[in-house]
Parts: sequence; structure tokens; C-alpha cells
Amino acid sequence: MTTALNTPVRLLPAAPEDLRAHLARYGPAPYRNQPGALIADVEASGLTGRGGAAFPVHRKLAAVARAGVRQGRTVVVANGAESEPASHKDELLLQFAPNLVLDGLQLAVEAVGATEAHLYLHRAPGPQILRALAERAARGLDRLAVTITQAPPRFLAGQETAVVNRLGGGPALPTFQPPRVSERGLGGAPTLVQNVETLAHLALIARYGPRWFRAVGTAAEPGSMLTTIYGPDGTAHVREAAIGTPLRALLADGAIDGADVGDGIQAWLVGGYHGTWLPMPGAAERTLDGKSGVLAALPSSRCGLTEAARVTRYLAAESAGQCGPCLNGLPRIAAALAELAGSGHRRQTLDDLKRWSGPQNLVEGRGACHHPDGTVRFVRSALVVFEPEISRHARGICSATDRRPFLPLPPGMPTREEDWT
Amino acid sequence: MNTAFWYASRATGIVALLLLTAVLVLGILVNRQGRLPGLPRFAVTDLHRNLSLLSVAFIVVHVLTAVLDTYVHIPLASAVVPFASGYERLWLGLGAISLDIMLAMIVTSLLRGRLNRILWRAVHLLAYASWPVAFAHSIGSSKDLQQGWMLGLAVACAMIVAAAVIWRLAHAARQVPRARRVAAIFAQHRTGQVTR
Repeated sequence: MTTALNTPVRLLPAAPEDLRAHLARYGPAPYRNQPGALIADVEASGLTGRGGAAFPVHRKLAAVARAGVRQGRTVVVANGAESEPASHKDELLLQFAPNLVLDGLQLAVEAVGATEAHLYLHRAPGPQILRALAERAARGLDRLAVTITQAPPRFLAGQETAVVNRLGGGPALPTFQPPRVSERGLGGAPTLVQNVETLAHLALIARYGPRWFRAVGTAAEPGSMLTTIYGPDGTAHVREAAIGTPLRALLADGAIDGADVGDGIQAWLVGGYHGTWLPMPGAAERTLDGKSGVLAALPSSRCGLTEAARVTRYLAAESAGQCGPCLNGLPRIAAALAELAGSGHRRQTLDDLKRWSGPQNLVEGRGACHHPDGTVRFVRSALVVFEPEISRHARGICSATDRRPFLPLPPGMPTREEDWT
Repeated sequence: MNTAFWYASRATGIVALLLLTAVLVLGILVNRQGRLPGLPRFAVTDLHRNLSLLSVAFIVVHVLTAVLDTYVHIPLASAVVPFASGYERLWLGLGAISLDIMLAMIVTSLLRGRLNRILWRAVHLLAYASWPVAFAHSIGSSKDLQQGWMLGLAVACAMIVAAAVIWRLAHAARQVPRARRVAAIFAQHRTGQVTR
């Protein structure tokens, strides 16, 4: 299972902390007693969303606060639906520092003048989060009571519009924007959806200020971040590291057993299943950025082409089935990639796949959400990085010596409407 | 000059009827995610939108030339206010009703990003009322369409629309529920387990 490894210890303590330990370390949440007061600090800190899209947090806060003035009500959602199968950082954060997340949620509630607070989770709430909520309620620490909702186990369940649809009682399906949920979200109210890690950072910025936050990280993307990192041995670790840290350094310092820098690694997957493959040795020089919440170092003993085909099949199966380019395009792309990953393929298949994922393809940018875009990006990088392996497979050879699956995938495919609720 | 307006009005009216027929059929095709030979699906949508805007242009010319023509007096207001014209009160009134519905459909479509989709859809479904009303207006007010090969053209339009609507209803009855669509597509593409 996953363990925590921290370089700058900001978010993740060494073990789960209850409210007593949390208050001893940080003190109570510093409410400003004035809506909007925190937004300037968040802007100065340069905090970006940690849910994968790295969108500037102050812009969402300001948009929701402004729309809330007109409408008289707003909603804040702490998004812990970590539906990316390879990611475990939100799950671990909610276990180890639930009070930091809840502080951030309540501070966001105050900043936008919210009238409703939600916590949206991938699994049933763990004992740490339930205990934290009970203890905080007993001591009257929270501005608003928090409603917990569990997301269906679907890849897209954490997408912003899907979150709002699920909280509204419907299926967790993405819908077209605009209107943005920050203008018209849950029940028509302006809605702030922030990843739970983002809220934890927000709670620290409220306490220690933007200057402290910017002490680590890069100028463009300040601060630290959590990332789930898979070493070449296939084990997952959640690490907190400064943005800008070289990937090489994340595997080094003896943190992951048997991993000498870059030794035996053929490629990195950066950014999870909507991310990109990067070939070695160049990849190790890459630095951590806001979009690398999942990192995987694929060892030379595995077949990257097979891994890419497995993941693509999963992504295609997780299409919500709403938009034509995604519904019709992704299964076709997945089938073509599966053919390449087999032994011997028709020449037409590789040409088709290059066309479907190449520039000006008919899939990207044509869905209600970014699922087709992320999937095509993943496939495009796989075709480049694993090109030699594609040629080998065409001749019936696979270079893998270890044929076990490497990247984690959940079983099953959704076939009923209830699978989204 | 005066007869020029009259001829222009008759001609643009007939072209508009043909365009509206094409727009309705394309709309049904878009709704059922059908395709045209040699065109990707999104091109069917684009064609539907562009032809509907083109037909608006023809209707504008059709209405303006009819009003400007001095042989019969048609007030400008009767283009949108039903039954406000002394000349051919019933048939021009139907024309105004169908134009009003089209305007509502165009405005809601231009604002689609800002609107509730249920509202957009409800207004857009009025197309099934607008076309027959426009057709009745055409047949009733146009002597051209009441005889000869043009009558054949009008009958052909009606038959095409009827066939498209029947096809749409039959197709809707066979529709795969949304949740099962991905699995159904998978079954077509031999995307079994990734094997080696």
C-alpha cells in the first residue's frame, strides 16, 4: 500500500493526526470574519488547483464570490473524488491531515460567503474524516456543517460538472460549459469546486501568508505538491515535494528501494492516465509541475506498448457515452492500439492510429469534458515513445521479460445507468 | 420594377421551402447522430446550422420583397403578427406563425450556451410544428405550387419530411440507452482484453 515520504513537510504529517494534534501544530483556523479577505492572499501566493488542471485558485474564488453577491447564495465543494486509479494522494491526505482539509474548506466557505459546504469522496468516508468532523462540530470550530457524498467509481466522477450533477442527485456525468459551475452550479447557485489538497494549501496560506508559501516551488507555480509516484518495482508512494524538483530526485535519496537514478527505467508516465509518456534519459531531467500528480517510472523489463494499450482500453470504457467523438472515437483508438500491442498488425492500423491521434484529429477538443483530449494526448505520446516496441511487435517480438501488468486499473466496465450514481 | 419584387418574392419563397425541408431532415439526422456519405458527423451539424441561417436570409428577402411590392398591400407587421394582412389573411397568417417559431428557434440556438438545455430542446422541437405551417402557407398562398411540376416538388418535400419523421421515430424506438452505448461500441471493435 501507499506510504508518505516528505521533503518539505507542509501537508503530510508522518502519521494520521487527530484534532488535538492538529491544533497543537497549527492552532485554530484563522478566520478573517469578512468574506473575500482571504482572496487577495491566495492571489499573492499564486496557488494553483492540485486536482490536475493547475488552474489559478484565486480566479475561481473571486468568480464565485462575485456571482454570490448577485445571487445571495454559494456552495463550496471539497473534491476528494480521486477517480484516477493510479492516484492515492488525496486519499492519504484525508487520512493523515483531515483537519487541514476541513480548515481549508471552512476558510473557502468564509472567503466566498458560502451557504452550503460539501465533501465529495471517492470511497465511503474513513474513520479519520468522520472523527474529525464530529470533534470539530463538538467544539464549534466550523462555520457550516459539511455534507458528505460518495462518488461512483468512474474515471470522470471527479470532473467539476460531474461533481455538481452528482451532488444535485443525478448521475456523475460531465456536462457542457458554459455556464461555468462558478456562475451556475449546484441547484443554480455559484459553486466552488476545489480539490482537497488545494484546500489544505489554502488553510496554510491563511495561517502563514503568501511569502511563506512562495518560499518553495517555482515563480510560475509556487509551493509544494503531493504526487503519487510508482517506482520501477511497481510500488506506489505518496510524496510531498517542491514544485520544480527534478523527477530524478524524487526517486533518489534512497526513498524507493533499488532505484539508482534512471537505472533500468525505460520511460516515465507524467500526469497519470491523461498525461504523457516521456522517454529516458531525457525524462529524468524533467521537473515536477502542477500537472504531475501521478508519476510512474516504467522499468525496462515491462512492455510500454502493452501498458499503454491496457490504459487506453480502460479510458475508452470510461467514456460517459454522451459525446460522439469520445463515444465512437476512443473504442476505435483503443482497438487499434490493442492490435499494435499484439503480435503482427495491419499497416493500415498504425496509419489510422497516427491520424486519429495526430494534429487536427477529429476527437480532441470536441467533448463536453476533456476526457477525449487527455486520452488522445496519452496515446500520441505512447506512439512516439514506444515506436521501437511497435516495430518489434510488428515482427512478433516483445521485449518484455516481466509480463505482469504494471499500471493499476480497476476491473469492470460501466453498463448500467446506476453505475454513475 | 414592381413585377421584379413580386417574382423575387415568389422565387425566394419556394427556395426557402426547399431549404427548410433540407434543414428539418438534417436536424433529424443530427438528432439521431446519422451521417451523410463522405462527411464526418460534425459536418452534418454544421450543414444543418448553416442551411438554417441561409434559409433565414431567403425568408427575409421573401418577406421584404412581398411588402415592397405595391400590386397588393401587405403591411410589414404582418410578417411577424399573424393574420394582420388583409390580403390572403389565413395563408399569410400561417407564414407569420411559422416565421415567429423559426425566430424563437434561432434566438435560443444562438444563446444555447447560456440556456438551460431542456428549454432549448423544448423550443427546438417546435420545428415539427413550424415546417407543416410553413408548408401550408406555401401551398395556400402560391399558385405556382398548386400545379404542374412545382406541385410535384411540393409533394416530394412533404414525402421526404414524412419519411424522415417516421425514420426518426423508428430509430428512437431502437435507441441504445446511454449507459450501454460504450459497451455496444466496444462489441463492434474487437477491443477484447489486450493480449500479446
